Amino acid sequence: MSMMTVAAAGSQDAKQEPKMRPMALSEPTREKMRLMRKKIRQTWRIFKGNRTGMLGLIILASFLILAVFAPQIMTILSWIGGWSHGYDPFEVLGPEGQATPPSSEHWLGTDRRGFDILARTIYGTRVSLEVGLVATVVSMGLGSFVGLMSGFWGGWRDEVLMRITDVFLVIPWLVLMIVLATLLPGGPSVGKVILVIGITGWSSTARIVRAQVLSLKSRSFIERAKSIGAGDYYIVRKHIFPNVFPLVFANSILTIALSILSESTLSFIGLGPSPRLVVTWGNMLEDAVDAEAMFNGLYLWILVPGLCIVLIVLGFTFLGYALDEIFNPKLRKR
Amino acid sequence: MRTVNETEVCCVRSSRRAITRKIVNSLITLFLVIILNFFLFRVMPGDPVRLVIPNNPRISPEYIAQMVEEFGLDQPLYLQFFTYLKNTLFLEFGDSFTELGTPALDIVLVKLKWTLILTGTSSVFMIVIGMSIGVIAAWRRGGRFDTGSLAFSLFFYAMPTFWFAMMLIVMFSTGLKWFPPDSALTYGNTLVWSWDCFVDLLRHLVLPAISLTVGSIAAFSLIMRGSLVDVMTEEYITTARAKGLTEGRVLKDHAVPNAMLPMVALIAIDLAFVVGGAFQTEVVFNYPGIGWETVEATYSKNYPILQAAFFLIAVAVIFANLIADVLMVYLDPRVRLEG
Repeated sequence: MSMMTVAAAGSQDAKQEPKMRPMALSEPTREKMRLMRKKIRQTWRIFKGNRTGMLGLIILASFLILAVFAPQIMTILSWIGGWSHGYDPFEVLGPEGQATPPSSEHWLGTDRRGFDILARTIYGTRVSLEVGLVATVVSMGLGSFVGLMSGFWGGWRDEVLMRITDVFLVIPWLVLMIVLATLLPGGPSVGKVILVIGITGWSSTARIVRAQVLSLKSRSFIERAKSIGAGDYYIVRKHIFPNVFPLVFANSILTIALSILSESTLSFIGLGPSPRLVVTWGNMLEDAVDAEAMFNGLYLWILVPGLCIVLIVLGFTFLGYALDEIFNPKLRKR
Repeated sequence: MRTVNETEVCCVRSSRRAITRKIVNSLITLFLVIILNFFLFRVMPGDPVRLVIPNNPRISPEYIAQMVEEFGLDQPLYLQFFTYLKNTLFLEFGDSFTELGTPALDIVLVKLKWTLILTGTSSVFMIVIGMSIGVIAAWRRGGRFDTGSLAFSLFFYAMPTFWFAMMLIVMFSTGLKWFPPDSALTYGNTLVWSWDCFVDLLRHLVLPAISLTVGSIAAFSLIMRGSLVDVMTEEYITTARAKGLTEGRVLKDHAVPNAMLPMVALIAIDLAFVVGGAFQTEVVFNYPGIGWETVEATYSKNYPILQAAFFLIAVAVIFANLIADVLMVYLDPRVRLEG
């Protein structure tokens, strides 16, 4: 009898929840939020002790500032350098058709289109971060979905999904990206680059998630949930997803690094958006090769955008490894 | 109670089953790749003839008519698919659009020779150097070598291969003038069996090989280190130490052989990475390999070349993966039991 009332109260709670204002949260919800806050605090405490992770976070924070405040930073630099104004990356400032070496007006020189290389490097952060984050969401979403379904269903559906995953796992990423970028309809654009990276990169996530789901499925708490009549959707949402998520999360930070590398490579090969419309570090380097910067002594044009790629990728890698250590307690002991 | 003999028979049977399964899976993957290759190039919106054969004034209408005939482009899609399957079976991908009359596969195979020279050389170096670094780093875990090699590995791991290649050219070609910056041989030379040609080849190979090797060492050393560190926490290592074996013996006899297992898979799977990495290196150095040819083909919309290269690379990687899987079945009893 008492169990019935508890169950009834629970279902009532669930019904009322969406209508309630945040001020009047039900008791279980408040308790859940308290636990979550506690968990976040704990995670942060462990993270603070991880020096590499902190270094990664600092690098990434700097790039984030660079991306968000690019125009303001250019203005500040123009005061320091005594330039007439803060340069825009698409403003023709130097001679067209001829790249110029660094000068007091243009610290990194201008490229063949007459664009200021320093301004382009700073603005380039925006596209790198955008592509890195969105492409990762695409590939992680696709991979998690396939992995969850495949692991949870099992049987022939699992076989079909895994064979498809194998195809994407087996084909070298750059080959697949080049073929997709060439053949997908429409001209080169940031959206297309994101799509290509997302389609290319989901397969390993699907594998990892599937393995995790399979090991979860054999645990007794799933069996228990099933025996008291929990539906498939409920089990996936309440038991499987929360246990898979930390793994996916740590992994996705590392995927951002790979996505950024992929973007710069695609742009470098000339399959990204046009340098006249979008600035990325990749297409700056492509421009540099076309202008034979390696043989003309215009080294800063190559060095600075390249170092930016290395740093931002390192930042995400450091952060990713640190999170991996936190979410995989087995690693922490080492 | 099982006798030893019975267990052995059981293992042989289960390993045979596991291998059959791997082979079947590889064949399915191969078939899916072939289907993907068809759909990628045919089912894009638009006129199939226009899509498969680009508007190029150098391609005569008679030639287009011949191509339409050969690939059945005027027929419904499912018939095109069977024509395509037959063509793929006989390795016919059509002629290259830029060099009419030369089958695309022939061109790709010639380029493959150069790619194999490059990736073969650097593979040897990256496996040997990468694994040695990984073993030493794991052994002296937390020491100066470990931290240093980890920083080194991560730094080059984060570095785009094409950019590293550019920096090598800036330093060793433009700056020090030690090695030539492009191509595989001095212009005008062909590959012959002679000492001069060999020296020329080596001089041109040094920078591309370094750019390819250094970037990939990281993958090997990081995974070797990780695997070995994993193994070192196992109980049988503690047992070996408790037996009074020296640290060197523990490492040589107990830890490294077990830590090698993931490396077998990695070496095979890394072939995919090597081909991907070789693309960038070949483009920067104008090295006439399969990657350079593929990138050129994307610029000129030379689809037969693209299709042939895609097929060839996929077959190579699927085959390498299969070999790794089969080896794993023999090396790791756990894989056998799973299958």
